[in-house]
Amino acid sequence: MITEFISMNGYGLYIWLSFGITFISCATVYYKTKKTLKKYEKEFLVELEALSVEEKDKALKTSKVAQNILATNSEIN
Amino acid sequence: MFKFFSSSNLYLLIQKLIKFINSIFFLVLIVGLTFSLILSPPDYIQGDSVRIMYVHVPSAWIGLACFSFITLLSVLNFIFKIKNFYFINKSIAPIGLLFTCLAIVTGSLWGQPTWGTWWAWDARLTSMLVLMLFYFLYILVFKLIKDENLVVKISSIIAIIGSINLPIIKYSVEWWSTLHQPASIKITGSSAIHSTMLLPLMAMLFVFLLYAALIFLMKYKTEIIRIKKKNIKRL
Repeated sequence: MITEFISMNGYGLYIWLSFGITFISCATVYYKTKKTLKKYEKEFLVELEALSVEEKDKALKTSKVAQNILATNSEIN
Repeated sequence: MFKFFSSSNLYLLIQKLIKFINSIFFLVLIVGLTFSLILSPPDYIQGDSVRIMYVHVPSAWIGLACFSFITLLSVLNFIFKIKNFYFINKSIAPIGLLFTCLAIVTGSLWGQPTWGTWWAWDARLTSMLVLMLFYFLYILVFKLIKDENLVVKISSIIAIIGSINLPIIKYSVEWWSTLHQPASIKITGSSAIHSTMLLPLMAMLFVFLLYAALIFLMKYKTEIIRIKKKNIKRL
């Protein structure tokens, strides 16, 4: 039964290649996009940490994005 | 109302949406794959090779939809100069390119057992290849040119010229004698596809749309951080 499912009546090669290529391409794009996002979050955090106390306070008060990135990264760490 | 669409509020909304899509994605994917690989019947002529349709057709639809959306936003950006549209287009283009490439590759894999050839310079296939080239050109502009205003102008022109190809793709199977079959699913009028195949097709379309939305949100979130990073330097 498993062999029948894999062979798909002789079309298995084409079907599994189609689904496989789609899956691998989508997974690669997902991984690369996530990696870039994390990289930017980290860079943003480093720049935020490099600010003086007053500047950091101001940034955190005015920017929800800064608050969120700081909170998320604290959770991770 | 406009305050709601500020980048900070959008960022929080995007965060929630990404979490929601991540939580349901695998369940939806398993349902889609079960329908398309196990539950759907083989075609009476094409046999099991018809299952390639469940990745090929949604890919082609999303590839076309992304370019149509890019064109619409490019025109609006040209008229109203809304900077947000630039970031949306920048985030959508790679998704459109990915799905157009997938439509071409899976179409080729479907063509071999069905038509006996991997590729033919057929009107539908060639026009899809032209769409892929337009996507490449569009993304290349973002990569090569640093001046944002110039990027907006050039990318908008590419999108508007490329949009001429969209009706050619859609009607190529009717205007010319092609290897590619005519559309089986019609928005107006009756579709020539049985519900046992339509259901898996819609399930896989939903999976692909969720995936496209997830990638778009992640890319758009990256763009917001990039803007905020620039602003932090001004402090």
